[in-house]
Amino acid sequence: MKLSRLTPRQILEIDACTRCGECLRYCPIYIEREEEAINPRGKIQAIKRFIRSQYGIWAKIFGPKKLSEDQLKKFSEMVYRCTLCGECGMVCPVSIHSKELWIGLREVLVELGYYPKEFDTLKKNVLTEHNISGLDNEGRIEWLEAMGDLPEHRYQKEKAEVIYFVGCVASYFPMVHKIPQGMVHIMRRAQVDFALLGGAEWCCGFPLIGAGMRKEAEEMMAHNLEVVRKKGAHTAIFTCPSCFHTWKEEYHSEINLFHFTQFLLSLIQEGKISFKEERVKVTYHDPCDLGRASGLYDPPRAILRAMPGVELVEMKDHGPYCKCCGGGGNLEMIDPELSAALAREKIKQIQETGAEVVVTSCQQCIRTIMTTARRMKIPIKALNLTELVLKHMK
Amino acid sequence: MDKHTLFYAMFIPSLILFLLGMGFRIGLYLQGTVKGAENATSWQKLWVLLRRGWRGFWKRPIWYLQITITDVLFHRKLYGQSFYRWLAHSFLVFGFVATFIVDMIKGLTTGYLVEWSHSLPFLSFAHAFETGAIRPFLDFFLEFFSFLILVGCVMALIRRFILRPPQLKTEEEDITSLCFILFLELSGFFIEGYRIAHPEVVANRVYMANFTPPSANNWLSFGGYSISIFLRGVTINPDFLWYFHVIPSLLFFIYIPHSKLLHLFTSSVTVIGDRMREREKQQLMDYKKS
Repeated sequence: MKLSRLTPRQILEIDACTRCGECLRYCPIYIEREEEAINPRGKIQAIKRFIRSQYGIWAKIFGPKKLSEDQLKKFSEMVYRCTLCGECGMVCPVSIHSKELWIGLREVLVELGYYPKEFDTLKKNVLTEHNISGLDNEGRIEWLEAMGDLPEHRYQKEKAEVIYFVGCVASYFPMVHKIPQGMVHIMRRAQVDFALLGGAEWCCGFPLIGAGMRKEAEEMMAHNLEVVRKKGAHTAIFTCPSCFHTWKEEYHSEINLFHFTQFLLSLIQEGKISFKEERVKVTYHDPCDLGRASGLYDPPRAILRAMPGVELVEMKDHGPYCKCCGGGGNLEMIDPELSAALAREKIKQIQETGAEVVVTSCQQCIRTIMTTARRMKIPIKALNLTELVLKHMK
Repeated sequence: MDKHTLFYAMFIPSLILFLLGMGFRIGLYLQGTVKGAENATSWQKLWVLLRRGWRGFWKRPIWYLQITITDVLFHRKLYGQSFYRWLAHSFLVFGFVATFIVDMIKGLTTGYLVEWSHSLPFLSFAHAFETGAIRPFLDFFLEFFSFLILVGCVMALIRRFILRPPQLKTEEEDITSLCFILFLELSGFFIEGYRIAHPEVVANRVYMANFTPPSANNWLSFGGYSISIFLRGVTINPDFLWYFHVIPSLLFFIYIPHSKLLHLFTSSVTVIGDRMREREKQQLMDYKKS
């Protein structure tokens, strides 16, 4: 087991863990399963044991112990059964950046060849078709077809100041097509000069990074950056929090990056968007990659407050403590039952608020919550903030 | 054997073993990849990291000192999570740091400077630390800070074995660390009590744990003084008592790099690194806003 996939800080973090268990009180996986093996503390202790057996004093004297296939398989299961929600790192008293650590450990496991085989399909799809679905990448903007009254350029202009980066899930999953459609409607009505990348938009690389395949994601990142620069854009807008977060943290570009909640809020403040009054009681679900990962808790709430008649009721766990819906970290691919269990817990919290609608700013959260709600025959309504804004716009 | 020689004959090998332990851990951390120095050797990586840390520190030294005090020593984040844990932890951390500082002052002045002052008269101020006006403060604060460690340790034991919060998992390492601290504190108070109860031991200078003559303000060492009441009629070999405290202290010192107590150093790095990142993110956001 080579440690070169980790940074010195990450190896040091393994020693900094005091096993206090503060993370356990917040880890959604542990709350659901109560298994020491798949909680953050358990994972750190397991890697510590591995490091000791490979690099400890006894290993230096008598040679490293060979790691058995069974041990590595079990460790792989521990590391991949995680939504990468980042709540453990946020509450860690010694500030271990656990989300990055889990991703680093996934990279180590990918190098060793011990990763869920479902990720081979994901990797193949992204590397060959440049999207997670495996469908033709030219079909990225098929959702546009359902929109009437399109301009001739169909938003695929040669040059534009603003690029709307749609993301794979919103492009290929009909359940959430309303999100890009709504975003286009809003920008058109607010007279924003923007363009779509169409088939030139590739996966942002986030699913590969989350799977522990950062190297493979680099090609995606380089391509996306190049096409956005070619358009002459100075701003990129994202409806997907994961794409937004990946661009922000990994792309290191000069382009101004905005999640749509920030962008819409600025349009509201500039008076380009105004609302009619319509009474509705909503609750807001903070997507992990927008809230904890990007620190954006206020813009979506400020938009909701700006809409007359909209009453916001917070869930028991909200803001930085908002529980993951189960849709993160590719968990759905590896352990759909566990992912659904987290979604059930989320639905329970939504119902406790008595809200008519749960609003969020992430297509994946909508998909996870609504898929589970439909399976459980629970009549809840989940809307993306773009949909609610469009509905309430004058 | 001379008291200094005896002490250093044990302390220097312990220090070497401690440093080897720390070096071993640092060597392990340097197996990781440093951004911007991907193909560097371990020594080169260490140099790069030290240079970055040094430069970073001098860009805003006040901020680093402030973070070290509020977030490392006084663990602001823990305060927001659990007052009980914060109090126990603060007693332990602050107690150790303060005891170490006072002990160093006491050892240096009464153990060395007073002796050197016989040939170097300008060092005669050190007598104030041995028998003069400063001595009572040294006695009191050494006792007080050690008492804080003891309270912190007892609070940690109560939490671990009586309160038992569900997320807590006790392993051998936790018990070993707490027992070590508890033993060192209790044996320290016991020795202080014996010193106060038996002034002849110090007067004969056979009791090597204390280089100084008996203090005139023994009651200021409130813990040891209370114990001394029960030890007046008890006779123990003072050399044995000294080894009884010093050998476990040195073993504890050697044990640190291989135990959970290593977090004294590692968590300081993670906390400062985290606050630094938060600050950089905030600065970037402010810049973009402006």
